[in-house]
Amino acid sequence: MKTKAILFIYFLLLNSNAFGQTELHGKVLDEKGLGLPGVNIFIKGSFDGASSTIDGTFKLTTTEKDFQILVFQFLGFKTKELAVTLTEKTQEIPTITLTEEITEMNAVTISAGAMEASDESKSVILRPLDIVTTPSAMGDIMGAFQTLPGTSTVGNDGRLFVRGGDATEVGIYIDGMRVGNAYGTTTGNVPTRTRFNPNLFKGTFFSTGGYSAEYGQALSSALALNTKDLSIRSQGDLSLMTVGGGYSHTLANEKQSITASANYFNLGPYQGLIKQEIEFEAAPNSWDLELAAQKKLGKNSLLKVMARTESGGMSLWQPLPGTDKKVLVDLKNDYSFAQANWRTLTKNKWTLFAGVSYSKNHDKIAYDSLLIERRNEILHLKGTAIKDISDRLSAKFGVEHFMHPYSETLVKEGLVRNYNDRESYLFTEWDFYLNKNLVFRGGLRAGTSSLSRENWIDPRFSVAYQLNEKGKLSFAAGRFHQLPIENFRVLNIDLQNSESNHLILNYLFSKDGLTFRAETFYKSYDQLVTFEGLPDAPEKLTNGGSGFAKGIDFFFRDRQSIKNTDYWITYSYVDSKRRFNQFQSRVQPSFAPKHNLSIVVKHFMVPLKSQIGASFAFNDGYTYTNPNLDQAEMNSKTKSFQNLSLSWSYLPKPNLIIHLACTNVLGRDNVFGYTFSPKTNAQGIFESIPQGQVAPRFLFLGIFLTLSKDKTANNLNNL
Amino acid sequence: MKKTILTIALAFIWISFAKAIDPAYEAAMQKQILAMNSIPNLESAQEVTNGFLRIAEAKNEEWLPLYYAAYNQTMAAFRFDVNKDNYFDQALELVQKAENIAPNNSEITALKGFVLMGKLSLDPASRGQSLSPEIMQIYGKAINLDRENPRALTLMAQMELGMAQFFGSGPEKACGMARMALDLYKKEEAKINEDYILPTWGKSQSEEVLKNCK
Repeated sequence: MKTKAILFIYFLLLNSNAFGQTELHGKVLDEKGLGLPGVNIFIKGSFDGASSTIDGTFKLTTTEKDFQILVFQFLGFKTKELAVTLTEKTQEIPTITLTEEITEMNAVTISAGAMEASDESKSVILRPLDIVTTPSAMGDIMGAFQTLPGTSTVGNDGRLFVRGGDATEVGIYIDGMRVGNAYGTTTGNVPTRTRFNPNLFKGTFFSTGGYSAEYGQALSSALALNTKDLSIRSQGDLSLMTVGGGYSHTLANEKQSITASANYFNLGPYQGLIKQEIEFEAAPNSWDLELAAQKKLGKNSLLKVMARTESGGMSLWQPLPGTDKKVLVDLKNDYSFAQANWRTLTKNKWTLFAGVSYSKNHDKIAYDSLLIERRNEILHLKGTAIKDISDRLSAKFGVEHFMHPYSETLVKEGLVRNYNDRESYLFTEWDFYLNKNLVFRGGLRAGTSSLSRENWIDPRFSVAYQLNEKGKLSFAAGRFHQLPIENFRVLNIDLQNSESNHLILNYLFSKDGLTFRAETFYKSYDQLVTFEGLPDAPEKLTNGGSGFAKGIDFFFRDRQSIKNTDYWITYSYVDSKRRFNQFQSRVQPSFAPKHNLSIVVKHFMVPLKSQIGASFAFNDGYTYTNPNLDQAEMNSKTKSFQNLSLSWSYLPKPNLIIHLACTNVLGRDNVFGYTFSPKTNAQGIFESIPQGQVAPRFLFLGIFLTLSKDKTANNLNNL
Repeated sequence: MKKTILTIALAFIWISFAKAIDPAYEAAMQKQILAMNSIPNLESAQEVTNGFLRIAEAKNEEWLPLYYAAYNQTMAAFRFDVNKDNYFDQALELVQKAENIAPNNSEITALKGFVLMGKLSLDPASRGQSLSPEIMQIYGKAINLDRENPRALTLMAQMELGMAQFFGSGPEKACGMARMALDLYKKEEAKINEDYILPTWGKSQSEEVLKNCK
């Protein structure tokens, strides 16, 4: 109490010579010249201040005197300071204009070609959760992306096909690091899956063209998967499925976390119960071990490590057209992937990234009496540095190096062919915001390959303009290079890059729970690989092909109109013709159906604690060459592809999910093409076998249980 | 003469000591807290937030003005028709600043969970996956940092009640927490006088949870 009394006197004395008040008047405007309400205006170092009213005017009373700093502060705007000399009773302050700060939150982003799956993204295309809850996807990342615009479903392949490009034109990255052989090796019309579990990733970035200079060696598409940051608690996850089971355990504290998991899959018991169209000698089976660890190093620095090893195989009888003979195809695959990356934010605002990844794939294929081994290794080293020069300008620089040995062995004959390529890249990308509604991005990517002895440079450019609060327009253009696939290069090491040029125009409309996206594109192809003979035994490979793809696609997603219901509709039109592989003329590739439609609906039924989902996919059929018709290539088309899938997820307890799903519920006999016998039969007809589905339907039942000491653990986490 | 010097010296010691309980600061805080408790519209919410931010600027070693600015911003997002995500993000930024001044503070930690709960409520279907376990963990941390903090318990009780309702299990756990919180509010009320500027909110939220209990 005494303190207060003394202080009171002290302040009284201090202020006695300056007891008068000054009243300041003024006005704050935004860049458009409109009054800005809510601005915090105060004398620096004092408690005296005021807020601007609805028309931007303010009145501030202060007891401070003489030379002072007047601060104008408003969240989202650049703070302004004004030196004032307080003398009079009332003083007029010149009108102040505040400029809006350009931040990640309010600035326009480039959406040409890009689709982001994250919880943070403003425009909802796909959520990480959607990958596991899309019925047709069956928990496969690519399955979920096949419901997005610009893609086509090729049911007997399973990989991602983008806008008239074949599946190898999609570059797949984990935390920016290249993944070799991201799909499981397969054979004889058995569709493949991604090797990586969707639960590893916190978000994905999927581009169907015109992407950043950071990505190369991909003609059509870049798919970047970003692994999770630190786990927040220790837990165990047990899964039991009709096709196998697994266990994963996480240990976590505030500084680091580690997850170890093991899985075993075998379709044998399932195929024993449900009849398959393909005659399996040994059903597809595999095991995998995986380790993922995250560690915080200091305040702004994170280290991530991931390693995975797996082994699998299958064995099946493949019918030969025109005969009743069958050939036994036996496949064994060993695969390992490891990567480590480190990201930090330095004191002078540089974001630095360094990473290394290594993929190793080993296939052993026995086709009748022929034994082939293929080994593919990719070592990728990468470093990037990003500097935000101001809130309007940011620059990115990067350097990459690849070591890429590949070999094929004919085991019995003891014949080996191989190559060893070294590739190096430099890239830079600059973002310039003219204002928060208009951004330009320019990039350059330069590459060199030791094997093809060529150097190349790819310019990339994009721009985005926010039309109004909900709509924006983006445009992207760029050149893309990709070296031919390994089994072509090994036959002719002089093969050069294939080249593609993209032009993309995109319109995106988004408001709470509603997204509409329309995109049109033109893409050219040059230097595609062509050869003589059949794809099984190509000869005289050259870069003699070319082609184009053009089209338009639409996407509509609505999560708000119907309660507890979320649905999206996608339509993609692709007109593509290319001369490639064995084709002598420009043809519509079998993997590029013209009309593609996809509908996904999910509804949460609260009283049943269940989410039910349905997805429907349609395309107008796959082209194929029918030698019985005429001599023309790709002169026929299969009937349309249709697939209706249903799923039901039931959450009886916070830590338990029961998931039931069925693909192709209607049992449509989809055909993806025909295999013709090389010779005519007695009637002069080339006999054929349809390339169909493994089984009319695939039924899946899984039980997922989370175990944790922490009672709050719940499986909503994994749903 | 000696006496005068001594007095002056003592006065300076008093003054530097008194900084810790700066009455001007306390008075300014009390004024804003009073204004905060009767906010009629968005403009006055912004005024109150601005008031706290001014105090935070002038007294950059205090966490409390930042805490109240964040809390007020969060409440404004709940009450008024604004870009809620933006408001919650701004609140989170202020919470972070407060945390930098006073790390491992139970009140700040609980408020952080409260803001995240606001973000969760905007899109539970897709944000629940990552946010709900994070919020639970934050509340757990807040309770552990100060077992006497009724707000940490109240917020945890709200979360527990939501979970119990979703899964159709009994609200016993939430009810127990809410009752404990009410006891702590009583203790807190005994300490409150007109100079009290520490957080006191949340009692009605606890009573709201208890309405679901037999």
